Amino acid sequence: MAEFSCLIVEDSPMMRQLLVFALARVKNLRVTEADDGVDGLRKLASARYDIIVTDINMPIMDGLKLVKRVRSDPLHKDTPIVIITTEGSQEDRQRALQLGANAYITKPIQAPQVIATVKELLKIP
Amino acid sequence: MPDPTEKRPMSTSDTPARDLLKQKEEFLKSLGIGTRLSEEMLAEYEHLVERLRVLESENAQLRAAVETNQAVRELLAKIERLEREKEDLVHQFRAVEASSSGFSERFQEIESELGNLANLLVASRQLHASLSPRSVMRRVKEVLAQLVGAERYAIYFVNGDKSALVPIASEGLTGEELANCPTGSGTLGEVFSSGRSLIADEGDPSHGTLANPPAVLPLTVDEKTVGVIAVYSTLAQKTRFDTVDYELFNLLGTQAAWALVSATLFAAAEHRLPGLEAFVDLSV
Repeated sequence: MAEFSCLIVEDSPMMRQLLVFALARVKNLRVTEADDGVDGLRKLASARYDIIVTDINMPIMDGLKLVKRVRSDPLHKDTPIVIITTEGSQEDRQRALQLGANAYITKPIQAPQVIATVKELLKIP
Repeated sequence: MPDPTEKRPMSTSDTPARDLLKQKEEFLKSLGIGTRLSEEMLAEYEHLVERLRVLESENAQLRAAVETNQAVRELLAKIERLEREKEDLVHQFRAVEASSSGFSERFQEIESELGNLANLLVASRQLHASLSPRSVMRRVKEVLAQLVGAERYAIYFVNGDKSALVPIASEGLTGEELANCPTGSGTLGEVFSSGRSLIADEGDPSHGTLANPPAVLPLTVDEKTVGVIAVYSTLAQKTRFDTVDYELFNLLGTQAAWALVSATLFAAAEHRLPGLEAFVDLSV
């Protein structure tokens, strides 16, 4: 069975842990964590990922900049990106989708929703 | 020599006898009757032959019809049997579908429960993952904001003489909105005094107000209430509290104050870990 890899980019340790717990329920999915956008780009430069899950509001480099950078990178221009936003930040959400994000999840996040979104984008039954 | 062509006068002996003429007439009469009878019989025969042909044709048609009816009957019987089989299969399919749907619902319930447990585990780990009071407070706020979906909230601790609840941290509230609350009255005072949470089961918590907070929970340490957390409103998409929210409130009520007190005491001890002597008398 094929193995998938996922990069979680989230500055909050709690949210990161929650995403890791949720995605541990997806079979054959290897998860790597990044603290912020810069850390995320560093990890993307050294390895190829099948999907990226990123928060929007982060210090140093936010999720929007990350999406833009990822889409301009030939290696990851087609990698599915899921953004995590709050309901109030509709503009950020629209901007992220325009920049090339594939899906979004609103906070407070629910594990089944995270699992379903990632599985759908990776086409895992 | 006599002329042969010359007609010889008829003698008496040449004249046919009267009887013979009569016989001749009778014979001719009989012959006529026989001829007529023969003609009638021939006509009848032809009629019978025609009739036989018609009958054979009808018989062939009847045979064909009988054979066709038999085939139709067999087909009808087959259709009936297939209909019964179809009904059985449909019944079995529905039973399997219902069973599958039941499994699917159960699977989703379990997935949801696992998600809830993950939330509780992560929240519990986070609350006790730091011994810095500021960090603990940040984590309490993160649990409220990220896991519960609280938008406006405040954390109160009771003052020295236990007369008022003093806000020590908040989010989404202005300085004017934050004030000390008496322990003896009001919603917050009531929760503090009783030690029981007040969570609105009905109504949209995102529309909560300062006067009518949708959730107020006591903060306890060693079974003593030392403060309260008041959630004044939730995020717009958080329109009701789920089972996991009640569990998170319970977790915060029992663990948040402990984590804060422990971190504060550790900070007061200048982050020095207790020596071995602190544990030697703990054996049971």
